Amino acid sequence: MADETFDVASCLDRVRARDQAAAKALVEHLYPLVIRIVRAHLPRRVAEEDLAQDIFLKMFTRLGQYQGNVPFPHWVSRIAVTTCIDQLRAQKRRPELRWADLSETEAEVLDNVLSDTRDEAPGDGLATRELVAKLLGQLKPEDRTVIQLLDLEQKSIAEISALTGWGQSMIKVRAFRARRKLQRLFQELQQKEKS
Amino acid sequence: MSTDDRTWQKLAAAARAVRDERDLAAPYGFSTRVAALAMTAPVASPWALFEKFAIRGLIAASVFGVAAVAFGYGAWTGDHENDVASYDAVADVLDLT
Repeated sequence: MADETFDVASCLDRVRARDQAAAKALVEHLYPLVIRIVRAHLPRRVAEEDLAQDIFLKMFTRLGQYQGNVPFPHWVSRIAVTTCIDQLRAQKRRPELRWADLSETEAEVLDNVLSDTRDEAPGDGLATRELVAKLLGQLKPEDRTVIQLLDLEQKSIAEISALTGWGQSMIKVRAFRARRKLQRLFQELQQKEKS
Repeated sequence: MSTDDRTWQKLAAAARAVRDERDLAAPYGFSTRVAALAMTAPVASPWALFEKFAIRGLIAASVFGVAAVAFGYGAWTGDHENDVASYDAVADVLDLT
């Protein structure tokens, strides 16, 4: 967890004066926050360290635009989320997900969850997480970001709006669209499994 | 809630329950490298954006200029045979030319 006693304001003053040690301290302080966002929204075949580096370099480049209206970590979170969305957009192709693409445990988890109507956990946790990542990979970058923040990180619509800069109705539309696409995916996967 | 939506909600709940055990500390040398890159990069001046677009604007203006000259070459060389505006019908009828 980030150090609560870290004085962000004075560190920023030193960074603005081109103090490299202060810049290093700021990166170390914010790394856990940034890497959590990166890991949650990481596109396929992108190294998390490279993406984290891009985010920090953007943060330093735009430091002059930071007015102090919001806490600095919030401002950095927004840069991190928008950078991840840009990376997802850059990956134009989203290969179709087939039953054969799932590992044995992922297929088992999906089978459990599709056939079982009770509200029980579907089984292997890690396989579930991998399966969820594969399903999210089928969504448009913006829809994926919304559903990730809403359903997996349990953020409110207002929080997502602050993070992404999108209007609340836009977020609701994207969430609706994402869930509908997921429903279609489940139906298609079920049909393919049967056939 | 439809069955398919319940399927997603169950998967999402199960994925949320999995604790991410991965280390959150910056890898060795990461912060030093990023700080060095950031502090050695030239400071972006407020004019940088203007300069960036000014160069693009200059290129676009040059392209338009060349295109305008190329398409209007006939007019520049004095080829006025088909120039309706310069045709004097009265002088033609009275054979004044």
